Amino acid sequence: MSELLFQSFIFPGLFYVLLWTVGLYWFFRKFMAALHKRVGPSFNGKAGSYQTLFDLSKLLTKESITPDGVNPYLFSIMPLLAVIFAMLPSAFIPWMDSFVVVDSNYGVLALVVLIGIEPFLLFLTGFGSNNKYSFLGGIRILTQAISMETSFLLAALSPALLFSTMNITAIVEQSSWFSFLVLLPGFIIYFIALLGLLEQPPFNIPDAEQEIVYGFYTEYSGTNYFLLQLAMFAEFMAVFSGAVALFLGAYKGVFFDSYLFFFIKMLAIAVVMMTLRAATPRITLAQMLSFSWRYMVPIALVNIAWVLFAKSLWFMGA
Amino acid sequence: MLHLRVVSGKRWSFKMDYVKKLISEFDCEYVEDYKKNWTKAKLNSKNDLLSVAEALKKEGLRSLSTVSPTDFLDDNIIEVNYFFEDLDTKRNLWLKVNLPREEKECEIESLTSLFPSAEWHEREAYSMFGVNFLHHPDLRDIIKSEDFAGVYPFRKDFDWLEHEKNTVANVQQIVDAFKKEQEENEVDLDTDSSETILNWGPTHPASGPIRLRVHCDGEEIISVDPDIGYVWRALEHLVTQKDFIGAIVSVERLCFMDNVNSMTGYAMAVEEIAGVEITPFASWMRVLLGEVARCSSHFMGLGMFFNNMGLHTLAMWNMDTREFFLDFLESYSGARIATAAIEPGGVRYGLDMSMFDELQKALDKFDGNVDEIEAIFVNNPTMKLRANDVGILSADEVHKFGLSGIVARASGVKTDIRIDEPYAAYGELDLEYITQKRGSSKDRFEMIFLELKQSVEIIKQAKAHIEKAVEAGEMNPTKDHMVKVPKKLPKGEAISRVEWARGEVLMHLVTEEKAKSPYRLKMRAPSFNHTMMLDYLLKGQTLSDIPLIFGSLYICQGDLDR
Repeated sequence: MSELLFQSFIFPGLFYVLLWTVGLYWFFRKFMAALHKRVGPSFNGKAGSYQTLFDLSKLLTKESITPDGVNPYLFSIMPLLAVIFAMLPSAFIPWMDSFVVVDSNYGVLALVVLIGIEPFLLFLTGFGSNNKYSFLGGIRILTQAISMETSFLLAALSPALLFSTMNITAIVEQSSWFSFLVLLPGFIIYFIALLGLLEQPPFNIPDAEQEIVYGFYTEYSGTNYFLLQLAMFAEFMAVFSGAVALFLGAYKGVFFDSYLFFFIKMLAIAVVMMTLRAATPRITLAQMLSFSWRYMVPIALVNIAWVLFAKSLWFMGA
Repeated sequence: MLHLRVVSGKRWSFKMDYVKKLISEFDCEYVEDYKKNWTKAKLNSKNDLLSVAEALKKEGLRSLSTVSPTDFLDDNIIEVNYFFEDLDTKRNLWLKVNLPREEKECEIESLTSLFPSAEWHEREAYSMFGVNFLHHPDLRDIIKSEDFAGVYPFRKDFDWLEHEKNTVANVQQIVDAFKKEQEENEVDLDTDSSETILNWGPTHPASGPIRLRVHCDGEEIISVDPDIGYVWRALEHLVTQKDFIGAIVSVERLCFMDNVNSMTGYAMAVEEIAGVEITPFASWMRVLLGEVARCSSHFMGLGMFFNNMGLHTLAMWNMDTREFFLDFLESYSGARIATAAIEPGGVRYGLDMSMFDELQKALDKFDGNVDEIEAIFVNNPTMKLRANDVGILSADEVHKFGLSGIVARASGVKTDIRIDEPYAAYGELDLEYITQKRGSSKDRFEMIFLELKQSVEIIKQAKAHIEKAVEAGEMNPTKDHMVKVPKKLPKGEAISRVEWARGEVLMHLVTEEKAKSPYRLKMRAPSFNHTMMLDYLLKGQTLSDIPLIFGSLYICQGDLDR
């Protein structure tokens, strides 16, 4: 019982997600500031490190406005559900050597499905906001999720096919430098699809500020907005940790194995994502659709073929 | 100060004769030459206007710059001024015609069918002066808020103080009108379709104080109807409440991004009426300050373009460089944005030569950055993917809709007031037209970048010239900056044109006998024409293209509403 409580509230549960959100938020700000030739937050705490805490506590204590004419249940429950569903995937991730909350034989499937539910929940927040811009944002996120998730699933399947298992712990245990090279094309596809799923530039179409205000966020404020932000960062963690576990060998390190390496790998993905964010303008919905269906999905299928081919060559004995 | 180029001047004057001959065939009170490439004429009868316009269009004067009524209360007439331009051969015509002041008789044929650029200018004249344009396709109020419905604020007998006594009622009227519009705007739409009306602005992250009523079907745009006037300060009226020097603070608030060049235009008009000629030092300073302000505007324009595609890095980088240029303005005038640095008679302050150190810092900072910006942003493949094929304006459309500045030059039209009608010291500078061919959004963005580089070159030239002349003792930077302009001006009128950061600004100044303040100042600002193009460019595009095209037209709401 106490172990379950620890896992759901401390690690890798609520507290861990909160810590990750606060830390990553601050890191994003500082990193973007450097790329922008700005300073970023600098007053509160060392190098502005308390700033995010203050911001989050401000959001939590601010009035949460529920506009007229919306369904209050749909409007307020969706952010909560979004957070919960975004936090669930971390239960399937082997964070450390022989540490995983749910050691399932369908881990990869669970990961993909739980990540895939998230955009639909966000669509419902837009749907429930009774606002034209929110609704447009909701439609956009659904469109994007459908097109990006296809290649996301195909890319996530490639390690499972290579090692003939859907158990993420088993995948991590079998992974090596060589398997990393074989899975490299799959990792690249996974990363691009990840940008689409997380609405990051150049695919930040659903909450394109200059086009449709904040998309599905438009009507949210206070606690509900805080929950949506938390859901977004929890979703970052889910998708990053998925990438690290499936492709980059999770906690495996250079001289010793440790959670430290897991964290560094996640941070590296975040850094690449941020750098893209600072250098790439947004593309349009039509361009995203054609990119996804004309290039991503076919290439992801070819990648599956390549993985099966490589498996028959080098991995049959194992 | 007129710097004639011998060869081109001859060609112009030769062709000008055609315009003069053409207009002389009609019943005119007078026809006379004005400045180098203007003809000024006054029609006796308003019934001739359409046929004159038709003949002018055939002759090649295809753009109508603006329509500017002047209300002469004592003579009981409203004099309407039309400014026709030919962007190719640089021949222009200033045409006047009198109308009676009585509201019912104050009417004249609309020129919109011949000159599409007239559409909004006539709407403005209608809203502000009550001039009724017959056969206008869409004669609605523009710019002024709903509490001015049925009254004409720029007429001389309009009582502003009386109007402002009822502030609460006025605001209520605006609110009621907005609510009514929101209730009714979707009544005609098919309830089974996905058509809707979006309010893009005035509190939209990328709009600024302007509202576009976007009629769209899902993501696809059916039509766009801009609603402007959210920053209407009635500057043209405010100017008449101040003396000739005080008026510059209203003039410079045309748009904060490039305030110097608009002051130059106003000061030139005042100097023309006063018959004053400024010193060479002052005219070089006008060039220098004007280009610094142009740079500071272009920095923002470049940044905004990328901001509108969701990438803020360029704006941040440019802000960083821009600060150095503002440092120079601050060291010269004491203010970073609203400098009030140019006034009739020259420039406001003498120059301490050590201020040029600040300028040199800015130039060095720019030179250190420019290659990086070009590599990352101007040649950005994703930007090209998005902007290359949207918002395309042909050269023909530039003429038709009277576009100017970078928008016109991006379509390959060689128009630049600094070269066409050199003012200040531009005639002595090495300047060339910078143009692009296709007129797409991407070309307009590249134009801003190329002109930014050109402006920095001009700053370097002007700085070197001033330094050399000061060293040689030809200029005295602490004493030469001003010549005296009389406080009271004679009766007269003048127009002046300057190349502003966004395009052509035309100032039409009218003074009365022994005037202490302007009687009427019309400021024709480029964003007005450019905003008119939004519906034309956005039809059939998607919602994603609104900020992109909007940003590429380089619109400033300040000079849109005035």
